[in-house]
Amino acid sequence: MKKEFILPKTLEELWEARAVHPRGALLAGGTDLLVRIRAGRADSQALISLDRIPDLRGISTGDGEIFIGPATTHQQLLDDYSVQKHLPLLRQSVEVLGSPQVRHMGTLGGNICTASPAGDTLPALYVLGARLDLRSPQGCRTVPIKEFIEGPGKTVLRKDEILSGIRVPMPDPGFRAGYHKVGQRKAMAIAVVSMACQVWINDHGTVGRIRLGWGSVGPTVKTLPEVEKFLEGRPLSLEVLREAGQMVSKGVTPIDDVRAGAAYRRLVAGRILLRLLDLLRKEVF
Amino acid sequence: MENQIPVIGRSQPRFDAKAKVSGTERYAADYYPPGMLWGAVKYSDHAHARLKKVDTSGAKEVPGVVAVLTCEDVAGANRVGIPPRPDQPVLADEKVRHRGDPVALVLAESKEALAAALDLISIDYEVLPAVFDSQEALMPGAPLVHSENENNILHKGKILKGSAKEALKECAAVVEATFRLPRQEHAYLETEAGVAWVEEDGTLVMIVSTQTPHRDRMEVAHALGLPPGRVRIMAPYLGGGFGGKDGISVQCFLGLGALHSGGRPVKIWNSREDSFLSSTKRHPATVTIKLGCGADGALQALCCRLFLDTGAYASLGGPVLTLALEHAGGVYRIPHVDIEGYCVYTNNPVSGAFRGFGATQALAALEQAVDMLAVKAGLDPLVFRLKNALRRGEESACGPLRTYSTGIASCLKTIMDHPLWLEVRSWEKDAPPFKRRGVGVAAVLQGVGYGPVVPDYANAKIELLEDGRIRVYSGVTDMGQGNASTYLQIAGDILSQRFGDMEAVQPDTARTLPSGSSSASRTTFTYGNALIKAAGLLRERILQRASLMLMGAAYTELALLPGRVRHIPSGRDLPLGLIASMLDSSEKVCVYSYVAPVARDIAGIDENFRNMGYPHLIFSYGAHLARIEIDEITGEVTVKSYLACTDAGRVLNPQAYEQQVHGGIVQSLGYTLFEDFQVQKGEILTTGLATYILPTAVDVPDLLSIAVQEEEENGPYGMKGLGEVCANATFPAVANAAARAAGRRIFEGPLTAERILEVLAEEHKGE
Ligand SMILES: Cc1cc2nc3c(=O)[nH]c(=O)nc-3n(C[C@H](O)[C@H](O)[C@H](O)COP(=O)(O)OP(=O)(O)OC[C@H]3O[C@@H](n4cnc5c(N)ncnc54)[C@H](O)[C@@H]3O)c2cc1C
Repeated sequence: MKKEFILPKTLEELWEARAVHPRGALLAGGTDLLVRIRAGRADSQALISLDRIPDLRGISTGDGEIFIGPATTHQQLLDDYSVQKHLPLLRQSVEVLGSPQVRHMGTLGGNICTASPAGDTLPALYVLGARLDLRSPQGCRTVPIKEFIEGPGKTVLRKDEILSGIRVPMPDPGFRAGYHKVGQRKAMAIAVVSMACQVWINDHGTVGRIRLGWGSVGPTVKTLPEVEKFLEGRPLSLEVLREAGQMVSKGVTPIDDVRAGAAYRRLVAGRILLRLLDLLRKEVF
Repeated sequence: MENQIPVIGRSQPRFDAKAKVSGTERYAADYYPPGMLWGAVKYSDHAHARLKKVDTSGAKEVPGVVAVLTCEDVAGANRVGIPPRPDQPVLADEKVRHRGDPVALVLAESKEALAAALDLISIDYEVLPAVFDSQEALMPGAPLVHSENENNILHKGKILKGSAKEALKECAAVVEATFRLPRQEHAYLETEAGVAWVEEDGTLVMIVSTQTPHRDRMEVAHALGLPPGRVRIMAPYLGGGFGGKDGISVQCFLGLGALHSGGRPVKIWNSREDSFLSSTKRHPATVTIKLGCGADGALQALCCRLFLDTGAYASLGGPVLTLALEHAGGVYRIPHVDIEGYCVYTNNPVSGAFRGFGATQALAALEQAVDMLAVKAGLDPLVFRLKNALRRGEESACGPLRTYSTGIASCLKTIMDHPLWLEVRSWEKDAPPFKRRGVGVAAVLQGVGYGPVVPDYANAKIELLEDGRIRVYSGVTDMGQGNASTYLQIAGDILSQRFGDMEAVQPDTARTLPSGSSSASRTTFTYGNALIKAAGLLRERILQRASLMLMGAAYTELALLPGRVRHIPSGRDLPLGLIASMLDSSEKVCVYSYVAPVARDIAGIDENFRNMGYPHLIFSYGAHLARIEIDEITGEVTVKSYLACTDAGRVLNPQAYEQQVHGGIVQSLGYTLFEDFQVQKGEILTTGLATYILPTAVDVPDLLSIAVQEEEENGPYGMKGLGEVCANATFPAVANAAARAAGRRIFEGPLTAERILEVLAEEHKGE
């Protein structure tokens, strides 16, 4: 069986390649796609690489947002100063994604398009209110990430579209951020439960604004506005967080699988809020 | 390193390290003979079913497919395994007994053709009732895994001494508990692999990843209907074995394939998924223990019931059970014991040899019970262990007198004096918020060698080559433990040759001599003893001929140096190549056969039990300490510090010794915390490394290893086996630490975060 491997250098060449190979798969880092191909769960007659298209790589700042090319690798995100300075939450989520090898190959766009309930960057991107550029030869539309992902492995991406950019609004200063991941081991672990949090604390020590997102406890990232409302105006004390944790445990919709039971995920999704006690001692951005 | 003369007792980088690290070493999986075909196996779709029809016609039509073979193509007995129950078919004939049972073998030009053909093999089954639990399999009326047997018992055994049941009644403190130990996958880096071809003279040759080349030769010949002399097996360095390659994996498929390939070589290299499906595992075990001590803290009585799930075939289940029973009394003096165990067939994956060989499971249970008893009796767990620990000359709980080196007390004392133990109270108290800390210890042992009946011999062979170099013919596979390097260290030490002046031939039934399996903590002990003698003989021959060449110089005037013999009075050097030219070909090779000593007072012991390896004579010992931290929010365990004190006799190469200890601990940390080979109704749920969780570098703390060097008089240079004893203490040490930290014990392994959080939650329920 002959397989084609195509390396377009511009978006125009990419559209051409897709026209010639309508069943071809887009390959970013391949760390998800190649696994699926090996398992017989994806088509592999033609692989169209996103690696050599400068428009799809790199990070730029402007207009109150940070623009990230989808083919930017996780390692490049870690090495980038504006990500370090403005998006510590995203950075923390990438720090615990896979292994050094996976972070050098895998891309942010790949993590988003895979739309795994356990995808490590997704809770952070939900919390940050990221918006995605979806481009086709006909034009471009921009959708919020929570409208982009419909379910495990399911997105609103049309056949002729690609994810061409990730737009993350620059957060208002004065926040603290934390990504908390529970896996079956300390590295190279798929999240069993994860939680991303960005919080602005008032001068008198209560929560001004808080944004929370949980991974691996539902078909997509779980946000619980009622929990955020409950916390706003209250101090991040043990009692408050315990009570909020119980709301979380009720609000999430995990399943049993070979990695962990639903009951455990439900329990930990709530208890993990207690990690926010640590947050108060952390750096303010 | 090439320029060093190896010295016994000094740290040396391994001889094989450079080639392995630089990628030039060729493992069995690295051979691609020209013109080769790929082979792969069609596995059963059911855990238990009668085979009605195997239709290979569709598969045979796939372009590129050369042969599709079934049991009908197997000319020999179509059975592998060791006596008395060689019960495993090469290709299933009448029935399939687990999901990993092979039904057909396909040979094809490409992997794509292979995959297409495997999909097109159509099998007609009559599904049979199946049994998936070792205790259910013992009930009357349970489905029979092997219809010709009366029941599902592969092997049972008993060790009785004194009157344990009565003695327990007299004890001041008694504990009782049932422990469940998980199934563990070997997960070696190199999955089962090899190549095979038929020579012009009809000899079947294979290069294969195996711990047992000489035994394989017999099994392959018997199963495929060839004279054993017509089978040649070569075992290059293995990319890991751990017991999983102790016996037949792909050997018979390779052989069968090569006999039906139209003269072309055949290569098989299992995918990780096929490896998980078809390879043997560590036996899942259920162990119930009642243990009691007197008011003085002296252990009095042990009752133990042990059930091992051996899966669909015998493999090495019988000996594994035997060793489990033999080690069930641990490192202690216990006057009354009543130990009984069953190794039971089920329709689960086959269980077999795995580093520790049954001792691991028995000790994981016992050493937790010992801690529970210490708590109940109000004694310090280390003091309690030391009080009851065997000394040389004493009778052990489960076997005859300990006649040889017995260093467990030194191991325990070393822990007792170590800062990790001395400062433990304050360390536990300093736990950060939402963390709980605990320390745990465990004391273990492992018998060295095969036991009293199966001859435990090695035949060393060493040669002086024409060019003056030394070649050691290793009879025992090096599966990564480094025994081949140690053999060169021994030869170099005796012959004063540098690593660069020597080479090792890996096991090859045509060139190296039968020396038993690479298993049972015996590879350096047995072959090393043989090699010391063979190398000594060669040294003497070299000096003798040098003396002749110097017209009768006295041996005291001669020095064997790298590449030469020096005549000290004259300063004249005779290159070894020159000496080699003066040796007859029959003299250049020295061989020596060594047989390990075995227990002699075995008259009263059940014959079956004896044949399966009971009792051992020489044991290695170890005591480990683990400091752990539990995260109260998630239940995750972090091992913070770890200390292993080992009595495996004298140390030949400290670096290699430490590597073994580290490897044993890390593999067992996986067993303790993460590794859970999940099988539901015969179906494997953890089908690959994405769901079967092995520890990574960041899951492992710094590991401290202290060798308690008590000399073993039978061992080469005073050593005894190390490879298994270092893997036995981790489970109970960590479990004891977890029980202390959590305030409650978890009786089922592995100790996942989920299980830990469950017991922490129970605590709140009681509030
Ligand atoms: C060993 C290992 C460990 C891992 N550990 C983690 C982990 O801890 N956490 C985690 O979240 N993930 C993990 N992953 C998954 C994976 O590495 C990440 O999801 C990664 O970000 C995927 O990026 P990629 O560039 O490799 O995607 P690819 O495999 O190249 O692509 C994934 C999918 O997205 C599509 N796609 C990619 N880019 C675009 C685009 N711009 N437009 C449209 N479609 C596109 C592809 O066609 C494909 O269907 C792991 C994977 C492996 C192999």
